[in-house]
Amino acid sequence: MSVVVDEPAVTDGGGTSRRRRGRALTAVALVLVFAVFPLVMSPFANLQVTLILVYAVAILGLDILVGWTGQVSLGQSAFFGIGAYGVAAGAVHGWPVWAGLLLGTAVAGVVGCLVAIPAARLRGYALGMITLTLPVVAVPLAKRMEVVTGGAQGLNVTIVQAPGWTGLAADQWRYYVVGIGAAIVFALAAALRRGRFGRAFDAIRVNEALATAQGVHVTRYKVLAFTLSSVYGGVAGVLYVVAVQFISPETLVLTLSISMLAGLAIGGLRSLLGCVLGAAFYVVVPNLTGSVSAGQSYLLYGVCLLVVMLLMPRGVAPALGHAVRRVANRRERAAASGE
Amino acid sequence: MSTLELRGVHAGYGKAQVLHDVSLHVGDGSITTLLGANGAGKTTTLRAISGLVRSTGEILIDGRPIPSAPDAVARLGVAHVPQGRGTIGQLSVDDNLKAGALLRRDRVQARADLRRLRELFPVLGERAQSQAAGLSGGEQQMLAIARALMGRPSILLLDEPSLGLAPLITKELFVLLPRLRDEWGLTVLVVEQNADLALSVGDHAVVLESGRVVLTGTAREISGHDEVRRAYLGN
Amino acid sequence: MNLLQQVLDGLSSGSVYATLALALVLVHRSTGIVNFAQGQMAVISTYVAWTLYDAGVPVWGAIGAAIVLSLVVGALVERFLIRRFEGGEPLAAIVVTVGLLISVNGLVSLIWGTVLKQFPSAFPSGGVGSGSGGTIGYGTLGTIGALLVVVLALNWLFRHTRLGLAFRAVAANPESSALLGLPVGRLLMLGWGLAAAVGALAGCLVAPKLYLAPEMMDSVLTYALAAAVLGGLNSALGTVLAAWFIGVVENLAGTYVSFVGGDMKIAVPLVLMVLILLLKPEGVFGHKEVRRV
Repeated sequence: MSVVVDEPAVTDGGGTSRRRRGRALTAVALVLVFAVFPLVMSPFANLQVTLILVYAVAILGLDILVGWTGQVSLGQSAFFGIGAYGVAAGAVHGWPVWAGLLLGTAVAGVVGCLVAIPAARLRGYALGMITLTLPVVAVPLAKRMEVVTGGAQGLNVTIVQAPGWTGLAADQWRYYVVGIGAAIVFALAAALRRGRFGRAFDAIRVNEALATAQGVHVTRYKVLAFTLSSVYGGVAGVLYVVAVQFISPETLVLTLSISMLAGLAIGGLRSLLGCVLGAAFYVVVPNLTGSVSAGQSYLLYGVCLLVVMLLMPRGVAPALGHAVRRVANRRERAAASGE
Repeated sequence: MSTLELRGVHAGYGKAQVLHDVSLHVGDGSITTLLGANGAGKTTTLRAISGLVRSTGEILIDGRPIPSAPDAVARLGVAHVPQGRGTIGQLSVDDNLKAGALLRRDRVQARADLRRLRELFPVLGERAQSQAAGLSGGEQQMLAIARALMGRPSILLLDEPSLGLAPLITKELFVLLPRLRDEWGLTVLVVEQNADLALSVGDHAVVLESGRVVLTGTAREISGHDEVRRAYLGN
Repeated sequence: MNLLQQVLDGLSSGSVYATLALALVLVHRSTGIVNFAQGQMAVISTYVAWTLYDAGVPVWGAIGAAIVLSLVVGALVERFLIRRFEGGEPLAAIVVTVGLLISVNGLVSLIWGTVLKQFPSAFPSGGVGSGSGGTIGYGTLGTIGALLVVVLALNWLFRHTRLGLAFRAVAANPESSALLGLPVGRLLMLGWGLAAAVGALAGCLVAPKLYLAPEMMDSVLTYALAAAVLGGLNSALGTVLAAWFIGVVENLAGTYVSFVGGDMKIAVPLVLMVLILLLKPEGVFGHKEVRRV
């Protein structure tokens, strides 16, 4: 006979407050590490972390759509491109960065909303196919609109220079700017997820008919989710240009959309940490596999992706959370039996 | 015909244990009724037998333990007509019936069986080319039973055949049951909410409560049992 | 180049898209998954055919051997990789096929390198008709014919054999089918195996028109996905018609509408697909299997 033992839930008040204190300490430590990191690491490492944060924002946007409301999109790279071209083209014409930021994210949001209004009626693969059209059309379009986009060569810009008084190098300053930008949009998403919107999105994902019965305006929230997701894609594009000072049509190809989707699955749905881990996988693993063997880099990257999915079908973040909970529970049980 | 025996069977879904130490015996060629309240574990018992739910303990057919995979259990001659009938809506009535006989080698006999079932259930012949999803509830139940018989099973597991059917149709089905048993050489284990009806055609009965066997006996004994009358027969 | 020729060329490309789209439909019907690696699996099959041809095997023999090998490999992929993701989170299944795509692409580059290779046509050069009517190449006609053969063969398999009935039953309702004693797992393997075999044919049909390269099927996959979704991911007839439509529209728009040109011609069928999907979300043939009373 197999006896099933439930894992004990949170055991006592003392344990919870101890846990909360631990969590606060961890957060402070993380912020410190994050702040000191660029001062001691190489410019290359700084750029890597900056890029991880850039892609984490884009993947978070995808999570709003895929993880929160259960829709699928292959169009995120197009919104990424809109944001990037918005800020880059603005900079070329002498606009300040904040104007480019507004332009890029606004256009991304408007396009996202326009696509979402008719597409919200669609489900699953039909929606996926519609969004697949976006990058397929966006790439040749970006090549053609030479006046705005610089054509196939793309745009080189010089924005977000480190002010003299800081004494920081360009890569360090951009690291902080992107880091703070990412922190703001992550905090916004976290607040949104906890509030009324998050509950409505959950209801739609779990059971659309039931959500309607509970008075959730399903179509409106789906359009909202898609628009938000595109805005996050646009913000990520802006941050990308801040990080690398360059954008070309090759950046927005469908492959990037697919990689972001893969990053989301690797990190785990509905998890802020998961978005960062997924982005880290996308940025770091190709570097690692490339350093092992340039010829086999692509094969190794694919195999890594498969292995992670086979070992953790629900993503790295949930698997980590599960492991941490198990260790904590075991420790508490040991403490309880020892006392 | 075969005997079916459960010895100390435990089964459940995930962490929820549903069956606790269930033992029962279904005699060769008998019709045995499984009674009990909602959630007593009747359906889980059938699903454990046909391998849809993992179980521990012994499940024996003619004294031999059954395999664990559902398709392997079915190939041993156990036909399970699940709750909600399990007909394949997208396929035509005929294709459903033929799917029931896919594993048979004796194709000539299978064709004869198909003709016989169309005599027994004329609607299946009349609507041979209709999609199964378009049939009424009663017709689907007939299709599900006929499809099970197409596999020439020795044991038939029926899960709440009356669910969603008009009382008259339910009655017709149950009256047919002993006849099918004799003609097709079946041992029948049937789960039924309508205890009166089930006991009227059954030979034996087993009463489950919270996943445990609390009473077994002949149909007559059980239907005469005061407590059972109060609990399941409504008087 | 006259109109008839353009239409036939479009039908020919459309037939290649249709063949790969049929593979997508086979996989989706059996396991409910859209296989992003379908095109890449076809690429490696085509390289195998090329290797055999290069070693002196006649072209039809090489293609046939690659198809049979793909059948086996496709079945093994379902059994040992995909099975663990069936019925789980759909995103995980999609991403696993993406991982497969990347891995196979890497494997192809590793084994055969990235230098383009010339793949022989299975059909004779030249064509029928001449003079003002232009010439219609045997390759064009052969590609369309090959698709028709595939469609007829699949139709025969699914409608008129016991194996086909078993496959349809499992695709529609795996649990019910298991209760009838059907070996569900092996039939799902068959679905993936057949898909890989059909995909291999698509690769061998398109390779002579392009050059054999690791990325050869990328755009074909995009068209095939569009055709499969337009066809409702379920109906063979709908998929073929959608693929032909895509092939013809793309070819005509690329040739006759100067604004479209070579770079944007991929967008035309996709944008049309978007419009059609918005009008009919379930796909043009999504509800083909109606009740026949």
